[in-house]
Amino acid sequence: MAEQPLNGEQEPPGEALPPGEALLPAETVAEDESSMSGGTAAADAAAGAPARAEPGAGEEVLRVEHIAKSFGPITALRDVGLKLRKGEVLGLLGDNGSGKSTLIKVICGFHKQDKGQMFLRGEPYEPKSVDDARAHGIDTVYQDLALIDELSVYHNMFLRRERVHAGIPFLANARMRRNARKALDEIGINIPRLDVPVARLSGGQRQAIAVARTVYGEANILLLDEPLAAMGAKEGGAILELIQRLKEEGNVSIIMVLHNYVHVLATCDRVNLIQDGVITFDKLTSETSVEELTDIVVEEYRRARQEALAADMEAAAAKRSTGAR
Amino acid sequence: MAIASGSEAPAQAPSEGPANASRALGKRLVALGRGFLTLREGSIVVVTVATFVYFAASTPGFATGANFKTLLPFFAPFAILAAGEVFVMINGEIDLSIGSVYLITPFLFYKLASAGGLPLVPSVIIALLGSAMIGFVNGFFIAVVGISSFVATFGMLFVLDGLTLVISHAEPVATPGTSAIHVGSFAQVFGGGTYSMLIWALGIVAVLQLLLTLTRWGVYTVAVGGNRLGAAEAGVRVRLVLIRNFVMCSTCAGFVGILEAVHTTTATPDPSGAGEILFEGIAAAVIGGTLLQGGSGTVAGGLIGALFLGILHDGLVIKGVSADYLDLYLGIAIILVMSVNVLVQRVRKGSGLG
Repeated sequence: MAEQPLNGEQEPPGEALPPGEALLPAETVAEDESSMSGGTAAADAAAGAPARAEPGAGEEVLRVEHIAKSFGPITALRDVGLKLRKGEVLGLLGDNGSGKSTLIKVICGFHKQDKGQMFLRGEPYEPKSVDDARAHGIDTVYQDLALIDELSVYHNMFLRRERVHAGIPFLANARMRRNARKALDEIGINIPRLDVPVARLSGGQRQAIAVARTVYGEANILLLDEPLAAMGAKEGGAILELIQRLKEEGNVSIIMVLHNYVHVLATCDRVNLIQDGVITFDKLTSETSVEELTDIVVEEYRRARQEALAADMEAAAAKRSTGAR
Repeated sequence: MAIASGSEAPAQAPSEGPANASRALGKRLVALGRGFLTLREGSIVVVTVATFVYFAASTPGFATGANFKTLLPFFAPFAILAAGEVFVMINGEIDLSIGSVYLITPFLFYKLASAGGLPLVPSVIIALLGSAMIGFVNGFFIAVVGISSFVATFGMLFVLDGLTLVISHAEPVATPGTSAIHVGSFAQVFGGGTYSMLIWALGIVAVLQLLLTLTRWGVYTVAVGGNRLGAAEAGVRVRLVLIRNFVMCSTCAGFVGILEAVHTTTATPDPSGAGEILFEGIAAAVIGGTLLQGGSGTVAGGLIGALFLGILHDGLVIKGVSADYLDLYLGIAIILVMSVNVLVQRVRKGSGLG
């Protein structure tokens, strides 16, 4: 206990409290200090509180700085910065069109940013492709799930990671089917047949497949873009449980786009709010509440409405004045 | 569906025993039969067999060995053309230039072997590299520049037809390595032997069917055709997949061109004939169960589609249908068969298999 381990692989201190509960206050300390001292691992270590063994206080694995991305005339991201620690679950909130999915797609190597840098475990990180990002240990559940309707469940689960027989380049279908079954069973999602095309499955089952294939890859940073969107209560619960389990194991870090504030507070360690392509809010979930998050969003909605109204009135006034002439 | 199977399972479990073994076997046979009918190729197999039986019963001289030999050239080349085209069609694209590649490749071969003085087999290989290049250019314009495949390959069709007329001076030439009176060993292998084309067709179809169903190439081909954005998000290199399928399709077409030129001992610069080749190749693929909109298809089905077209063509000729009526009947038959195909597919969808 006196010597604080710097990585999350070590056992958490054996106290009566379950790790999940001990986690949040410890993190609060780390967060405050890092935000003051610029967030370097050395500064964290120098602070030297015993609770430092918690996964949420692990070293920074991913840092994103001043990312901007436009698609022709549309600016999706203006200046985004965020950081992710080892073992942390970061919730990303924001309106539709605020740039969440674009940010995810920049981090996972699908889009290349126009400006800004990313750092992975302190090293500059410039993914050339989705494959390249995956080789760096970053994998994604896309909002559109990226499933191929015509392919079987297990071919989807192993898309781009197909297992082949040793010696001949033929797909090891039986092995993939077995492993897919195992992964789905572990999550607790029931899909009776794995050789049917995924077009035949329900929205929740499809989403579970997309989540399972990412979680059971070899990634240690997971990007989940609305992993619960199409799910019923039962399937959604299974996925949240899975994320909780990953969090307790502390080996993977997760950025998760969610819409439901209750889910964010229940599952995430920290929450970032993205508005108009900029991160405007960054707090530990233990320090915020559904009310605060709601207030911010409602406030933004009001402001946007007022601005729109003002613009309308100006336009109307301009029209009147030209009409009068 | 999940609920139904869940409630069935416990009811069945206690009654299982040796006494029920035969019933279980019967059940499995029924399931096997249904499984066959619900195969992508199942419906066209049934229709092809029915067509065969009809001609065999109604036309003396149809079901004979001699007629089988006449049938072969009506079917083997189209099976190979369809095999390549199936990959492009599963990608959700189409290659309209296969007829023209079929037309020009024998002239490339001729130039290399006769004018260039190269040995026969290397000439074949270089000519095929030429047709692969054509496929690459098609793929480049479609996957990189972003022209629709219909337009890009349609343009290529005219380019190649024109080029063939230019380099051949619109004159037919004798295919190198062949003679009208004697079939040498080169010609035996490359289309001149009676069963040469059939063997090539079966071989190529078998290899490409395995490529489609058992390799990453096949999985990515379906992925790109089924959900192009999703495939890209999952990390599939969409452009590479498109380009290599166009290359393969074009190479198949060039190879058929050489086989035919050797078979007939002449290379004829006839663009309208090439157009017919194109349509029959695509028709074989579509009749065999490959969807024009992409995402699904079968190479073996293309072979059976070609066989169906061959049987129909040959059967109508043997039956003594006047040449004027031949195309009319052929067209009606194709539409009827495709209607049956759609009905069977609907049954298949209902069965819960894709």
